[in-house]
Amino acid sequence: MLYFKRKLYFLLFLLIPVLSFMLPHNAGAEDAGAIIRKVVDNLNGKSAVLEIIMAVKTSRAERTMKMKSYSIGQEKSFIKILYPGKDKGITFLKIDKSMWQYVPRIEKTIKIPASMMLQSWMGSDFTNDDLVKESSLCDDYDHKLISATQTGYNIELIPRAEAAVVWGKILMAVSREYYLPVTVNYFDEDGVLVRTLSYSKIKHFGARFYPSLWIMKPETPDKAGHETRIIVTDAFFDGVVDDSYFTKRALKRFSR
Amino acid sequence: MLFQFALRNVLAHGKRSVVTILLGTISTALLVFSSAWMDGSHQQMIKNAVEIYPGYIQITGAEFRQSPSFEHLLFDVDKIQAEVIDIAGVALFTPRFEAFVLFSVGDKTVGGMLTGINPEKERRVSRLCAALKDGEYLENNDNNQLYIGNELARRLQVKVGDELVFIGTGADYSFAADRLIVKGIFQTGLFEFDAGSAFLAKSYFDRIMASKNLATHGIVLPENLNRSAQLAGVIGRRIGPKYQVADWQQTMAGLVKSMQLDSCFGYITLAIIFIVIFFVVMIYTLLAVFARLKEIGIMRAIGTTPRQVFAILLWESSILGFISVWVGGLIGAAFAWYFCIHPLVFSGMEEQFKQYGLAASAIPSAFEPLTIGRDMAVMFLLLLLSTLYPIIKVNRYQPIEALHHV
Amino acid sequence: MFRTIVKIAWASLRRRTTRSLMVVTMICLSLWGLFLMEGIYDGMTEQMIANAIRSDSGHVSLFGQGYRLDASLDNRIKGSDTAKLEKFLDSDPRISSWVKRLKQQGLVATAHYSRNTVISGVNLRREKGHGRLEDYLVQGEYGFGRQAKGAIIGFKLAEKLKVSIGGKIILTAQDLHSEVTATALRVTGIIKTNNLRLDETTVFMDIAAARKFLGVEHGVTQVAVMLRDNQQTAGFQAGLRQAFSRLEVLRWDEMYPALLQSRVIMNGFSLVVSLMIFGIAGIGILGVMLVSVLERVREFGIMLAIGTGFGRLRAIIMTESLLMGVTGFLAGAFCGWLSLLYFKIYGLDLTVFSAAFNEFGMDAVTHAIIRPDYFVNAFVSIIFAVLVSMFFSLRILRKSKPIEVINEI
Repeated sequence: MLYFKRKLYFLLFLLIPVLSFMLPHNAGAEDAGAIIRKVVDNLNGKSAVLEIIMAVKTSRAERTMKMKSYSIGQEKSFIKILYPGKDKGITFLKIDKSMWQYVPRIEKTIKIPASMMLQSWMGSDFTNDDLVKESSLCDDYDHKLISATQTGYNIELIPRAEAAVVWGKILMAVSREYYLPVTVNYFDEDGVLVRTLSYSKIKHFGARFYPSLWIMKPETPDKAGHETRIIVTDAFFDGVVDDSYFTKRALKRFSR
Repeated sequence: MLFQFALRNVLAHGKRSVVTILLGTISTALLVFSSAWMDGSHQQMIKNAVEIYPGYIQITGAEFRQSPSFEHLLFDVDKIQAEVIDIAGVALFTPRFEAFVLFSVGDKTVGGMLTGINPEKERRVSRLCAALKDGEYLENNDNNQLYIGNELARRLQVKVGDELVFIGTGADYSFAADRLIVKGIFQTGLFEFDAGSAFLAKSYFDRIMASKNLATHGIVLPENLNRSAQLAGVIGRRIGPKYQVADWQQTMAGLVKSMQLDSCFGYITLAIIFIVIFFVVMIYTLLAVFARLKEIGIMRAIGTTPRQVFAILLWESSILGFISVWVGGLIGAAFAWYFCIHPLVFSGMEEQFKQYGLAASAIPSAFEPLTIGRDMAVMFLLLLLSTLYPIIKVNRYQPIEALHHV
Repeated sequence: MFRTIVKIAWASLRRRTTRSLMVVTMICLSLWGLFLMEGIYDGMTEQMIANAIRSDSGHVSLFGQGYRLDASLDNRIKGSDTAKLEKFLDSDPRISSWVKRLKQQGLVATAHYSRNTVISGVNLRREKGHGRLEDYLVQGEYGFGRQAKGAIIGFKLAEKLKVSIGGKIILTAQDLHSEVTATALRVTGIIKTNNLRLDETTVFMDIAAARKFLGVEHGVTQVAVMLRDNQQTAGFQAGLRQAFSRLEVLRWDEMYPALLQSRVIMNGFSLVVSLMIFGIAGIGILGVMLVSVLERVREFGIMLAIGTGFGRLRAIIMTESLLMGVTGFLAGAFCGWLSLLYFKIYGLDLTVFSAAFNEFGMDAVTHAIIRPDYFVNAFVSIIFAVLVSMFFSLRILRKSKPIEVINEI
């Protein structure tokens, strides 16, 4: 018996190098964390100025908004609504984890309180929290490469214990060609799919490849028929973005 | 024959009969009034809670109560209204649109419920208008004029005439924001409600919230409040499974349960009191019967069967019980009726009442002939039962024994 | 002399065994019922009050100035006050324990649901000694884990979030500098305090972790104090108010006025019910006394005729009625005490009567209270009822002129 056990260990011992050789990171593939970092950098750039159209589809209607966004890295961003006329001039400012909103109709700047963080942003399927926390993909998760194919990587992101993330895990498919995300699946703690974010229609913007269509689709039954599409119509990366956008005063100043 | 005999006996022992009747009367009056009081206070609490705001019958989207989102709205209010108002027994239909928004004044930002209502109809289904504390209630064609809860106003530090803003999401998920002027401040006494609600005239609300012909709730006022459940069923069948129709017993299940709980305590207490009454009546009957042991002995000696003696004595207690139950029932009913019309006012106990969702501290008793009749019947049975043992016991005596009893 | 009186009284009682027994039984049963009712109802109200005191308010709670109106971290008890306060609390012999809590309103969320919450940073070890918080635990364990990353949440909140032990919750709140901050915790325990407000909203977390989370290095929002003797609450509060004029000092009944009113209402209710019971029982005793005197008019007439004083008759009747009254009382008190003792130790499961008990801030199992004044009051009332009945009986006896009665046939 004992002999048998020892033999088993020996066998396992022999197998370990073989097994680890079969694991992706030894197969010449990159470290999953590095892939994610690359992806996040590709999505945000040092700075970015985007013009986007956001189409929010619900089971009843579809609305379209146009907006312009300015950002430096992942920490600071400024968004201005251009269309429809009713919402024109609404501005948002995000610095680190705080968010302010200026509404010209009421001439007022409001700081989004903690209790509103999980509310929908401008009626879309993104929450205020999504806008504030986009940076966390790198820092808040442990990354693991599930599989690598000819065209891409499948990476599992498990929130770190201390990370303030509601998800149980995230599965991200990354294209090998552009190091850009293809789909991001968000799961709850029981492994139930809660929502899917997909990126497609990669285009040239300056020297950079960038997905021009983002689709956020909630997968829970109470949000059936909902979908938010973001179409990037114009983008300008790594240029100089005026620092004055990222102050509270800018909210009102750049509203016009 | 036996009955006439019994009646004669009752009349012959005038004093004793009066005492027994008095005892029965007091007990009956007590029972009738306590249950009238208990029912009355419970009905009042429920009535208050229902009428302050929720309403007797609520129509919502089928899944709205489980997941209150704009996905489960009433999508064609005009059509629903036309259908509902057509149903016999419906007195009124009024739509409401509730939306969670942020209210803001200066640096202060507070989350709360902003609701579009039809002010004129709302007057009849809820006590919003009556809860006015300061300023004025809304009118149908009001613009950005806000009717706000007292505690919410205090948290935002606004008074009548002040301006505040709100931001929120419209029915079409578009962004909504506006400046509002405080027209009136209300206080229902329900802290949570007063600290988190404000109202606009729906005509204006619909314009900023894109909620024309939409509603989160339809409130139905039945003509007969007691038939809410049946009426809810009828409405439900008429407007179909896309919508859920709930009467107050469903929307306020918690309150209904807590009232049952309270009744439970009430009846336990009454039971204890009745044990005492039972014994006292039994003792009195025992005294009365034994005082007449000689008489009974003579009756037996001249050939009356034990069965007949039993019947006579039972008739006697029936007559006494009958009189006491009626007199007591009438006295109890009179009290119930009086306090039904002139409710008792408890001042200084508002906090306790608020817990039950009861803002007013005046409590009427219920006047319900059916309940009174039930209580009288229960009491009559109790009185009869309590005389049984003494009667049986006295019947066990042999005639001679009885004759010689000292 | 006295012995003869007792002997005669005993003999007369024995002659009407059934009747005497019935009176004794009636007194016994009515007192038994009354004691049970008082003890259990009192147990219920006191338990509700105790739940609020143990889980939140203590006998006295201290807050920073303005905190009650605007519960923001700016209005907390500042660090400078805390040191002085701690010294004071540690040295006052009236205090049995005190705890510090750091509370902030915020949002608790899972991937599917979110709720408004009150985040309460506590020291579990101290809370255990203070309000036996551990006893309220219904699921999981009483601890925040080794890394203080755990949370103990109210059962109603857990139901609404559909989260169970081990589940992740995200807390979002404004920190001291009004910045939005968030943290992830694992549910380690679920409590049911039957303090409704708490069960619906509270998330307990480690106070040191809460300090870090909210950026509050010094000071707390609430200090709850438990006294050795709750009678001293008012005096203690006055003293604290004087010593710490910059703080708000509130008694439990000022924080939970509805509970105090429950107690007042319950007491009033008990009084009315006991008056009714004694009234009815009194009528029973009176009837029996009257009859037993009247049927013995002849007997008393003879006694008077052979020279027995009226005083001696009175003594006999009094002894008789007192014998019945006291026996009834003793029997009732014994039964009442025994059953209350049982319910005090083992508790009474009220869900037998209604499943609703679980949901309304009442403990399903109520432990009865035994107060000496139940028995004292009942004793006094019964003796009073007996004496009143005797008074009436004697008057009627005198009126019926016993000596003349013997002459009738």
